[in-house]
Amino acid sequence: MKRAVALALLAALMAPASSAQGYDQRRRQLIGKIARVPDEKMGYGHIAARLWLREGVPAAEKRLRELLEGDISGDMFWMFPMTAIAYLDRGQLSDSTRALMRKSWKRYYPFRGDTENHWLLYYTSLYLMAQMWPDLDGEGWFNGKSSKENMEEARRWIDSWVRLTTTKGQGEYDCTHYIGVYLLPLAYLAAWAEDPRLKKQAAMMIEWVTADFAAESLDGIYVGAHARTDDRQVVEKWAGVSSDFAWLLFGQGKETPPFGGYAPFYAMADGPEPPEILRRIATDRSRPYTHYEKKRTRNRWRFHDELHGPVYKTTYMTKDYAVSSDQGGVLQPVQQHSWDVTWRLEDPAGRHNTLFSLHPYSGMVELEAYFTFSPDFGTEAVWRSKTTYDSPDKLLGGSPYERIAQSEDAVIALYDIPAGTRFPHINGFFPKDLEEFEEDSSGWIFVRGGRTRIAWRPLAPYVWKPMAGGGRRLFSPHLKNGAVVQAASIDEFPTAESFRKAVRALKLEFSLEPRPRVVFRTLRGKLMEFTHGEAPRIDGKPLDYANWPAFGCPFLNARAGEPRLEMTHGGVRRVLDFRTLTVKEEKIAGPR
Amino acid sequence: MAALAMCAQAEHRLHALGVTTKGWVVGAPLLPGGVFIRQSSGQWVNAGYRHPLLTALAWFPDAPGTLYVAAGDGVIRIDAAGRWRVLTDETVTELQDISAGSGGVLAFGHTAGFRLSEDRGRTWREISGGLPRRYGKAIRIDRTNSRKIVVGTENGLYVSTDGGRSWRLAGAAGFQAMRIEQSPHDASFWLAATQKGGVFRSTDGGLTFEATPRDPAAGRNLYDIAFDPADARRIAVCGWGPGVLVSEDGGLTWNARNQGLPRPDVWSVAFDPDKPGRLYAGVHEEALYVSEDAGKTWRVEGLPGSIVLKMAFVPATGGAR
Repeated sequence: MKRAVALALLAALMAPASSAQGYDQRRRQLIGKIARVPDEKMGYGHIAARLWLREGVPAAEKRLRELLEGDISGDMFWMFPMTAIAYLDRGQLSDSTRALMRKSWKRYYPFRGDTENHWLLYYTSLYLMAQMWPDLDGEGWFNGKSSKENMEEARRWIDSWVRLTTTKGQGEYDCTHYIGVYLLPLAYLAAWAEDPRLKKQAAMMIEWVTADFAAESLDGIYVGAHARTDDRQVVEKWAGVSSDFAWLLFGQGKETPPFGGYAPFYAMADGPEPPEILRRIATDRSRPYTHYEKKRTRNRWRFHDELHGPVYKTTYMTKDYAVSSDQGGVLQPVQQHSWDVTWRLEDPAGRHNTLFSLHPYSGMVELEAYFTFSPDFGTEAVWRSKTTYDSPDKLLGGSPYERIAQSEDAVIALYDIPAGTRFPHINGFFPKDLEEFEEDSSGWIFVRGGRTRIAWRPLAPYVWKPMAGGGRRLFSPHLKNGAVVQAASIDEFPTAESFRKAVRALKLEFSLEPRPRVVFRTLRGKLMEFTHGEAPRIDGKPLDYANWPAFGCPFLNARAGEPRLEMTHGGVRRVLDFRTLTVKEEKIAGPR
Repeated sequence: MAALAMCAQAEHRLHALGVTTKGWVVGAPLLPGGVFIRQSSGQWVNAGYRHPLLTALAWFPDAPGTLYVAAGDGVIRIDAAGRWRVLTDETVTELQDISAGSGGVLAFGHTAGFRLSEDRGRTWREISGGLPRRYGKAIRIDRTNSRKIVVGTENGLYVSTDGGRSWRLAGAAGFQAMRIEQSPHDASFWLAATQKGGVFRSTDGGLTFEATPRDPAAGRNLYDIAFDPADARRIAVCGWGPGVLVSEDGGLTWNARNQGLPRPDVWSVAFDPDKPGRLYAGVHEEALYVSEDAGKTWRVEGLPGSIVLKMAFVPATGGAR
């Protein structure tokens, strides 16, 4: 009987739980949701959805004409839905509407923007539209360039982005929101580019980006340090575009609002279902693993000799929780998220299932490095759209004064903040949805979220401040500061007391002068030695940043600098090689 | 007779590069922005496309009908028929300044350095080699010698006398130069405005720059410089905090001229070559202001809620349409 159950479980594990039909069903569900809006409320996305479904097209066409005859705006966020409409037309629109569409690319001047995702959207859309109208001269386009020139320029940039991403990592890495605006244009190219090389390359990049997400998906929640997230999703980890894609691609989580509307465009462009191995990597949390990634900063225009700096990420994944970090510092302006512990919940909607600390830094050194803002208006220009940027209680952003070390599910965050710094304190986020909370006389704070126990040792005195969305903010107005954090599963420590006892017994020494320094023996037996401004040491050895992998975990492996990603799971190995533009999948020996 | 007088005055048309930002948030439809041209009626026209980021413009004296605009997405050529054409490719972004010399030489600064064209923008070559940091904020080609170029980087002012093939530090070391201008009266006299470093003067044709005796901006940031075409000794600079500063002695001493301006945060200044003493100032998100007495009094001219980054008087026979 036991054997039969075991076999049934094994079969269930090996079988593709998300069949092609399941993916297709989710696609249709998503597109259908977008298409079903009142005629008068249709935007470009709704029109595209109706064209995909071939339903309600006359009203969609009428609305499209209204939109194009009006005041066009949106730059690349206008370009990409227009491109979808053009390719989903498939004979459903009238010649006069097509002519109107073509003229709109002359009448309106979309700006190229200033971020990586802007450019990928811009150049992908421009490429595909120039491909559609290949014989137009400069008079036919807003930028005065011919279709041929636009295609060549777009192709060069897309190729350069692929080279850069597959060798040095994405600049906007692991974004909970912007993952959508990478998968979307790549799906367009894979579906609609006529050049087989560009088409293949895009399909492989979809796998690359999806693999990047899969290894850090905690039941559909994108965990890990992020180049960019937002004020909501940094605390409500489920609430964002990445969850749309987790549901669509892996069948994880649940159908979402959807956030941002990018997943429907991926679906409408026949964005591919990930290969089975990626679904398994996204869902197999049968044993814990540490995952390493090397990424790069956004373009640094000033104050640096190198255009891109390295980003070293560490993520520890279990079935119940994830602990993740980068090395600290300002690696991305404004919306960086550097470390946290995030735990799984059956229904994470509306729940704050994470905890972390940060120094709420804002300043022109950061903004002038990454943007061309003038020194007097940059901060205001940012907070007009990113309203918490210059706020002392913010929960988003990197700091030049933060340094982070991680060993499995233990994190040390240290802060050495110069006197006179705006916002001379650190914030610790303790969410409203903690099931247990206790400030222990030992100095540790013990909490439980879901099935995860967490111990947090502040290194300097603090007070608690209430937060608008619930929960409490650890406020510590000391310039030399830090936190030691250890997580564990409730399976290991069924009672709070057993966890407290184990943590209290761990070796912990720290000092704050002249620089914050911690020596900590983790629950896993590793000795962490970390001084602010120096490379962390684990069991006496400094972290090997020089050989940090582009991807490194039981499932994903890639060497930094080499455009080749190896995926391994369940006796299958799948290799993406961008040098030869080949995908090779084979069975291998071994248990995994 | 009055009509004739008006024609005589209308030898140049004021072009303002700016964008309406007051009340605008990311994601909202773009408000008027791009090239604004003041008509002889006094009305402003947002010529051509709306554009969110135009920072400087230039033209060749022998062909003022064609403008070359430094834009967020490249060098845009606007011809006499009002047609726009982007002259650069995917390798340049967020241009900060542009300058035209003689013989079809055109050069610009952008986020990753400086480039130069010797065929009016058809082809470009990189000229940033040898510069320690490349952020290309300001550039001017000597109007008497197109092989001499002065650039403003985050490390100071650098000069090349061989068309950008080699560079040497010319001054303002350690300061981000924000704007460089050459006097229309005396080709050997140059000024540079800096971030927190004040004004730097050159009297040897841009080969060396020295700080003025006293920083007129008191450590604040200066953004623009305007020489008065009618008075060789009158110069205006502007910035955030100091507002408009006017010198009547060739840049040795400066006086604040902010009486009547709503705030002392000014992006750009320009003297009207057809009307001695008339000075324009782009006040942050307030409006474009005009003074008939070199800044002693001011009144609103137009472009409410705008940021005007640069103004230029283009010969009336040319300019954008």
